[in-house]
Amino acid sequence: MSTLNAAIVGLGMTEMGKVYGRTATQFAVEAVGKAASDAGLGVADLDGLLVNCGLGRQVGMPLAADLGLRDLSVLSEIQSFGASAGVMVMQAAAAIAAGQATAVACVFADVPLTEGKRTGAAYADPKFRLRPGFLGIPPAGGLLGPNVGYALAARRHMDAYGTTSEQLGHVAVSTRKWAELNPAAQMRAPMTIDDHQSSRYIVDPLHLLDCCLVSNGAIAVIVTSGERARELAQPPVYLHGGAQSHPGYIDERDSEFGLVTGAKKSGERAMRMAGVRPEQIGVREIYDCYTYTTLVTLEDYGFCEKGEGGPLAESGALAPGGSLPTNTGGGQLSGYYMWGMTPLSEAVIQARGQGGERQVADHDYVLVSGNGGILAHHSTLILSPHPKEA
Amino acid sequence: MSAKDMLPIDRDDASAAWFDAAADGRLLIRKCPAGHVSAPHTTTCPRCGSTTLQWIEAAGTGVLASYAVINRRDADPLPVAIVELDEGPWMRMQLQDVDPASLATNDPVEVRFAAPEGGEPIPYAVPRAAG
Repeated sequence: MSTLNAAIVGLGMTEMGKVYGRTATQFAVEAVGKAASDAGLGVADLDGLLVNCGLGRQVGMPLAADLGLRDLSVLSEIQSFGASAGVMVMQAAAAIAAGQATAVACVFADVPLTEGKRTGAAYADPKFRLRPGFLGIPPAGGLLGPNVGYALAARRHMDAYGTTSEQLGHVAVSTRKWAELNPAAQMRAPMTIDDHQSSRYIVDPLHLLDCCLVSNGAIAVIVTSGERARELAQPPVYLHGGAQSHPGYIDERDSEFGLVTGAKKSGERAMRMAGVRPEQIGVREIYDCYTYTTLVTLEDYGFCEKGEGGPLAESGALAPGGSLPTNTGGGQLSGYYMWGMTPLSEAVIQARGQGGERQVADHDYVLVSGNGGILAHHSTLILSPHPKEA
Repeated sequence: MSAKDMLPIDRDDASAAWFDAAADGRLLIRKCPAGHVSAPHTTTCPRCGSTTLQWIEAAGTGVLASYAVINRRDADPLPVAIVELDEGPWMRMQLQDVDPASLATNDPVEVRFAAPEGGEPIPYAVPRAAG
């Protein structure tokens, strides 16, 4: 695994949130341009492009033409749902190591929000969900969209380990405290546990403030070799480890669904590749589609014992000033929802030391998680401002 | 008992036999030649990879492996669950005739069917006396 020799050198973020009147492709073009420029490159310097579309599936390989790129040596659409950002970076690193490309843009873009339609409709529209046959049966009975699936997962964790709604609330409150320090975050008003507890249920046991935002926009990163990275405009963010795990739960008795996620094996592999232990990681950027997801992922990565995620959150460890700074930009709960690009973008900012008011002093190792489907797909990256020793 | 909180769906080739049985009130699940039992939607045994699955009739009883209550804007809260059938497979479905505030994991349930207007029968679960 000493062949891992890649770094993130550019980060481009568009305006995100309730931004209307632009297509996913237009957002993606802007994000890639900003990322290249951030790196000190031109778009024409890119020879690789990996594209991850969101739910709307409105951006793909034709993006290359929109960017004016006429001779890419690497071009693919990547789809691992919320794990895609990490997967794209790993694919880019592999292409670079194989000599197939030298500068690869990885971009996510989505426009799930439509002006005048409720946010909740974006991910639970029956038109998208009611397929014929077996796939249509749960939605036909009302089990529409990811909120229901994650509520069922969270309930299992609560039953098995005694995790409480208030403990989930501590995840929301800690994350909001970080968002208050991030000018790019969408939700920056202070939040209390009472606010969390009195927010309406979306799907019991998940309150409104247990659920992530939904945003229009795009984020891109540029990946190059470690050597090239040192000649570019930004402090390089080196890839020390990367791994995936796709648990493939069998839906039957004794399933670990809701209790143990892909973070367990993905995290073990990524940390082994990087040669680090959980206690060496200074910053955690966890895919937080729900408060519960943060909590169970931290457990699976070994930042606490299994089942102790609730007390860990309650202790304040995840918040600014705590012992385990987590989701330092406000995550998807309070920051912005760009699938796995949310944790990845904040990880790049932290690893570079550009977090301003919210910068974590110990950022030698930054962990990034991605989680997709209903806990079906997981990716982990370990990033560092220091080159990886061969 | 009621399809008022259900949406209609169509059958496809893979589900035709299952919906026919459901219309008779029978819950079919899958079984492979090695005896592994799996959920109705599987087309390949998740244990051994066999593709020659047959239908067997499940008892139609099980327990709640998990549950949740959907808070709806324009209607009463809708309880839903992962039902663990006595044979082992999980099915996600709506709950009826329950008090959403007093649900608990491992509550015993039985599976029934209701067909929304213009659609195939959809399974739901109701409480079953323990024992």
